[in-house]
Amino acid sequence: MDSLIPFTTSGSLVDCVDRKMLVVLRDGRKLHGVLRSYDQFANLVLEDTVERIYHADAFAEQWHGLFLIRGENVVLLGEIDLDLEDEVPIGRPVDWVALEPYHKQDVESKKQREEVKAQILYDKAGFSKEGGEGDGY
Amino acid sequence: MLPLSLLNAAQNKPMMVELKNGETFNGHLVNCDNFMNITLREVYQTSSDGEHFWKLKECYIRGSTIKYLRVPEQLLDAVKEEQNRARDAGRGGRGGFMGGNRGRGAPPRGGRGGRGGPMRGGRGRGRGA
Repeated sequence: MDSLIPFTTSGSLVDCVDRKMLVVLRDGRKLHGVLRSYDQFANLVLEDTVERIYHADAFAEQWHGLFLIRGENVVLLGEIDLDLEDEVPIGRPVDWVALEPYHKQDVESKKQREEVKAQILYDKAGFSKEGGEGDGY
Repeated sequence: MLPLSLLNAAQNKPMMVELKNGETFNGHLVNCDNFMNITLREVYQTSSDGEHFWKLKECYIRGSTIKYLRVPEQLLDAVKEEQNRARDAGRGGRGGFMGGNRGRGAPPRGGRGGRGGPMRGGRGRGRGA
């Protein structure tokens, strides 16, 4: 049966409908939610969406609700195994407000490292500069 | 229920739109099209650093600049119910339109037919739950 479905966005995502999914966006955000719908652009409808941030061994969640994500911004869509989810050590849950400044700092320092790296590659290794959007996708 | 039909059904509902550049717009949806271009009314615009705010009476957002939209939770149930009603009432309303689209696309183009098939399966599961 699987082989009858062509490898298109639609063909690949049918099995993911009504499952709990992890979505990573181009801006680095990680969203967990139930995939309710999608189309040929990989526009997604996520229900009961929760955003998760990490820092060191801690993580925090923020509830968002019903999301309609424009497909362009999606980097990755992965199914979450509900049975394994509980067994994987993901760190200790902490308050969002407490963790957010640390997370923002992480994002900022990562951005700076990438800029330095890109500049070195450009100067010394003949790499081209990235497009205006500032990410590697 | 395709993402864009959900957006269509969200007319006059409050929503939060975030653009790719991080700016957010809170307002009620006036209208939208198939490019995801939208118009909002009574809008609160927030800069990407969250420090500046503007109030706009009405605004238009080009679809291609959107990152995501947050819509009310209840919308999904409301739309499902309405679809079921339309289906029960025969081939009317939104359900009828999508049926027609499938029927047209399937015979001449193999690719379309394949895509229509799985989508139908997806919707069926949703209804059962």
